[in-house]
Amino acid sequence: MSTTDAEARRDLQAAATSNRGDRVFNRVVTAAAFSALVVLAGIAIFLGLQTITAFQSQGLSFITTTAWDINTDPPTAGILGMLYGSVLLAVIALFIAVPASILLSIFMVFIAPTRLATFLTNVIDLMAAIPSVILGLWAFYILNPTAEEWQRLLNQYLGWIPIFENTSGNFLGTPFIAGFVLAIMMIPIVTSVTREVLARTPPDLVNAGEALGCSLWTMLRFVALPYGRGGIVGGVMLGLGRALGETIAVFFVLKIVFEVNWYMIIESGGGSIATLIVSRFGEVSGEFELSLLLAAGFFLFVMTLVVNVIANLIVARTGRLQQ
Amino acid sequence: MSTTITFDPETLPALQQQQIQRPWRHKPIKFTASIIIASIIPFVVVAALFFTSEIPGAILMTVVYFPLQLIAAGIAGFATRGQRGILDSVIIVTSIGATIFSMVVLVSVIGSLIVRGFAALSAHFIYQNNVYISPSTPLEYGGIGHAILGTLLIVTISALIAVPIGIATAVYITEVRGGAVPYVRFFVQAMSGVPSVVAGLFILTIIVATDGVFEQGAFAGGLAYAILMLPTVARTAEEVLKLVPEDLRTGALALGSTRARTVYRVVLPAAKTGIITAVILGIARVIGETAPLLLAAGNSDQTVVNPFGGPISAVPTYVFNNVALPYPDAVARAWASALVLLILVGILFVAARLIGRGRQGSKR
Repeated sequence: MSTTDAEARRDLQAAATSNRGDRVFNRVVTAAAFSALVVLAGIAIFLGLQTITAFQSQGLSFITTTAWDINTDPPTAGILGMLYGSVLLAVIALFIAVPASILLSIFMVFIAPTRLATFLTNVIDLMAAIPSVILGLWAFYILNPTAEEWQRLLNQYLGWIPIFENTSGNFLGTPFIAGFVLAIMMIPIVTSVTREVLARTPPDLVNAGEALGCSLWTMLRFVALPYGRGGIVGGVMLGLGRALGETIAVFFVLKIVFEVNWYMIIESGGGSIATLIVSRFGEVSGEFELSLLLAAGFFLFVMTLVVNVIANLIVARTGRLQQ
Repeated sequence: MSTTITFDPETLPALQQQQIQRPWRHKPIKFTASIIIASIIPFVVVAALFFTSEIPGAILMTVVYFPLQLIAAGIAGFATRGQRGILDSVIIVTSIGATIFSMVVLVSVIGSLIVRGFAALSAHFIYQNNVYISPSTPLEYGGIGHAILGTLLIVTISALIAVPIGIATAVYITEVRGGAVPYVRFFVQAMSGVPSVVAGLFILTIIVATDGVFEQGAFAGGLAYAILMLPTVARTAEEVLKLVPEDLRTGALALGSTRARTVYRVVLPAAKTGIITAVILGIARVIGETAPLLLAAGNSDQTVVNPFGGPISAVPTYVFNNVALPYPDAVARAWASALVLLILVGILFVAARLIGRGRQGSKR
């Protein structure tokens, strides 16, 4: 920031406030600019108020136990299984999407011919535009039978590993399928950020590395990946925020159970806080249950907000460093 | 400025020779041979297994072909460039594998939609509504005209709300440049991470709180969509307004224009196509969202045109309601309407691309 910059800004502001029309214009635009804050605050307050009802009736057990017996007296409700389930699904999705996206962007930036890379960029953008309800429909009818077969094989040959345990014999509605669908939604988001970050690796560094005899792997390992690390982490976090909040695609492929499914990823039944809201909303029994769902929504909001803010801070910081 | 030395490559045999030879590009026979062998052997093995055994193709590809290809490529890399060649080959093979995996998924999604969707699609499916139609009614009757109208109505309402606010936010960041710019940017980014179901819940709390004054319907759905659309419009518009040359602004101000007039008459027109792209991207962001409409707009089989006229269906909610029904005809309707939704998204996607391409200096 030079002094001329500050002066120019002051002059502009002086010019902007010298006229009545401009003062009105300034106020209107400023008011509009703060609408994002108003909406965020509105969501936090309105949904936050609902947690009072939930905590008053359930105490802390609302987030530390698992139950959903609304019609008993007194009703019990706990969303630990859903909170944990959302995290489990996101972790499964990360395990699939992160390597796939990084490899995909390495292919697009460093390996593929320019024309193929441009084509792939467009295709990946198109993939990001596919609505989640369509992915849900596809997963329900096309992915489910295939995934069932694969999970059966996994269980048959690798069942001795605890995460591939399955006691029910039912391989549908598993966290693995839901996580896989989430991974498909994450891949375009993570890839587009990663690709941009990798493409911004200074050509000088790449050329210097090649001149020093770097192979593709050493160039990636010591130049491109360290250079883009921050951006890649930020992109992964953005994808994670999306995965935590995804509702509809998961709704069709995950059997919601209230008990916590800690690790058995190919066992039928799991939890997701976003999906809980939609699946219970259709048959909501009354105002009390509705306020419980709204309270659950508040925790979802807080979770995604934290992840997103961290992601954006990381992306913004690396963006500034690289300019 | 300086004299240009012109020469004809034809007259300079030395140069010509050099260009043709390129010793650093020369690949030894060993290299070519090992690449060819490495790509043929796994293929032959898998093809032989495919025709002789009864292992399904997909399992062969992942359990046999992919590891075999990795090993073969690793050996080829080792044969040509020693130890460092191994890791290079592994990276190349796995990254091609990841690309193929993504493409297979995408082709499967779009292919299945086209195949199953077109089977149930017909002219009357586009314009008829769903009154008197039960899930078991044959496909000759009924359609999603009401849902398409509903989507258009809800999206229009949300665009009317989100586009002016989004552009104003961008104008605040790039034109007014007040002291709160970093905070506004931060809030817009935070808002872009709000899950769609939370946007729907927020509107639902308002519906519950007002207790009957404000109902589920197109307007409530539009409000929920607007929450999701606003950050997209604001961020894209900001990027575009940044591309407007500073000279245009200072020039307009120097000619005596007021700040507001500079924005209306100079900056926004200069960024017109970019702004249109921002609007299209905003619409594309929301048009397939289902969860907010389930909560805020409700569901109806009738054609509703009044924004405050009670529950209304949209294409995504129509798909949602028909997916898991135990009637083949309902499921066929779900596929067909999902195809309609994908076509809507595709039109917006292509439109944004075409307009974006026309814009000069845009890299995205």
